[in-house]
Amino acid sequence: MGEGRYKSVTDTRPTDFDQYWTAVLDELANTPSAPEVERVPIRDTDYATQYSVRLTSIGPYRIFAYVSVPKGDGPFPALYFAPGYGSVVANTQQGMPNGLRRDHIVFVLAARGQRNSDKPYAASFPGLLTDGIDDPSAYRYRGIVADAVRGLGYLASRSDVDANRVAVLGSDMPLVIAGLSTAASHVVDSPAIFYKAVKRAAGTQAYPLEELNDYIRLFPERRDAVERTMSYFDTRWFASSVKAKTLVLAGAKGEPLSRDGLQPLLDNIGDNASVYEAGEDHSTYKEGVYKLSWLAKEFRLGAPVLPEHWQ
Amino acid sequence: MPTYQAAETYRSKVVKPLDFDEFWRGVDDQLDSIPLNAEVIRDPMRSTDDVDVYDVRYDSLDSVRIAGWYGVPKGVSGDLPGMLLVPGYQGEPPLPKDWARFGYAALSVAPRGKLRSNSQYNPGYPGLLTHNLTDRNTYGYKGFYADAVRGLDFLLSRDEVDSERVGVTGSSQGGALTIVAAALRSEHIKAAAAGAPYLCGFVDSIELTSTYPYQEINDYIRHHPESRDDVIDTLAYFDGVCFADKITCPIIVNIGLQDNIVPTETGFMVYNAMTGTDNKRLYTYDDQGHEAGRYLHAKIVQDFFAEQLSPRTS
Repeated sequence: MGEGRYKSVTDTRPTDFDQYWTAVLDELANTPSAPEVERVPIRDTDYATQYSVRLTSIGPYRIFAYVSVPKGDGPFPALYFAPGYGSVVANTQQGMPNGLRRDHIVFVLAARGQRNSDKPYAASFPGLLTDGIDDPSAYRYRGIVADAVRGLGYLASRSDVDANRVAVLGSDMPLVIAGLSTAASHVVDSPAIFYKAVKRAAGTQAYPLEELNDYIRLFPERRDAVERTMSYFDTRWFASSVKAKTLVLAGAKGEPLSRDGLQPLLDNIGDNASVYEAGEDHSTYKEGVYKLSWLAKEFRLGAPVLPEHWQ
Repeated sequence: MPTYQAAETYRSKVVKPLDFDEFWRGVDDQLDSIPLNAEVIRDPMRSTDDVDVYDVRYDSLDSVRIAGWYGVPKGVSGDLPGMLLVPGYQGEPPLPKDWARFGYAALSVAPRGKLRSNSQYNPGYPGLLTHNLTDRNTYGYKGFYADAVRGLDFLLSRDEVDSERVGVTGSSQGGALTIVAAALRSEHIKAAAAGAPYLCGFVDSIELTSTYPYQEINDYIRHHPESRDDVIDTLAYFDGVCFADKITCPIIVNIGLQDNIVPTETGFMVYNAMTGTDNKRLYTYDDQGHEAGRYLHAKIVQDFFAEQLSPRTS
């Protein structure tokens, strides 16, 4: 399949892009977050205390998060693992060293549909990416983005968080919420879905982008609607509003998400962006060491905390 | 990180229980007493011009209803090699369209607790790894392993599957399930490929790494220190190292030498414990974490199964 399969309109920023997101943020502002915080003693360590948090997002919809707080006096730098595409949101991202919790507040949020935020709505995988996709105002990700912004707002509101050292990490969501909120000081973004999505879907059979192909194959008459909805979520259109210092984790040379492939996105972020480009082997080890070293340097914490098998 | 030699020669603390085989024969007997009750419904949304995709349901241990995705190349009938695809710990099982395109009748299983199989059992994540961990008869992985093995029973029940040409593959937890299925169904599994096998060397792993998911076990023991011995005893019945010597088919294993989730030492350990087959090969990938060389290794896996199971390619 080549990219020419769909005649894309997604290179255009919707003319009402700002109005669309202003309405979402207004709705969020009119929804009290009503945080409920509880201890999760089984995940405590000698150096950190684990809590669960429940917040209200637009809808209203009750969402779930974990927050780990170092023992001792803050304020502490914060790492926010923003929701990605997948059902499971664990207390600490799989493979991250638990020792990160010694010096950082670690916040992990499950957006609506993900486990622990799955009542009343439980997302399907595959299925989430096209849920309500015919209409931008009904698209499920509208609420998911609001949830992610709500999480950042909650984190930034904590008195034990150092507002100058708040990093949002994840796939596409860090750029999206850093484009909608100024509360993040740093962003680590691995572009995955919401960058030229429909166009890139035409060149792959891999999920989750294949969800778009499945949907358009079954409902070919809805293709324009799909493209229109996805255009409100394209990270390019958020990037120009991002003020946080940003690390973009790009794919390997020659791939759609390589540094060259992402150039329109990088141009929109501007001088705030630096890039790590993967090698052909897509080593999570090399990328992970780079990412954690970048954060440690930005947060002025000295040597990075690394998992045992990366030291 | 350990040197290659240190990882390769690491001495495991795993002790195989004396009644290990008896325990799993008992599980097998329980499975045998439960009718499969398979349902197979075509999914038009996920089917394509070249692959038919089906939503599969079947009964497993404790009569828990298990879901799967079944992919078959379109327009091909009879004598297809079967491929059992087993999932990782956190992700949802992928649709097996690519394996169907390679010429296999492929089942991607969602063992209990995965989204599509969680109406009767749902310990969550974190949670599954330590659910009812102090008793081997109730530990969540007893049913979880059985559900994966039961997927093979589904494949063997299909007219279009050649029962003499069935393979199994997966990575991470899927690597462990590959080892378990190849061991417990050694008479049927003809080839296996395990990537970065998790759930091998539990007692070693909880000392070798501080990352999740293994950290769940340390959390549990810290929170319930009185249960430590029961935990260690239970885990031995579910340790891939204890299953490994029962594998008799050709098998390939790939590991990353900088794996931050599954300690590299345990990859060597389980490979070295595969003493029941001479036809085995370990692929080690330097500068690789838990992906264990996936971008390079995927073609090796595909070629391995093509040689062992001879799919028809159009």
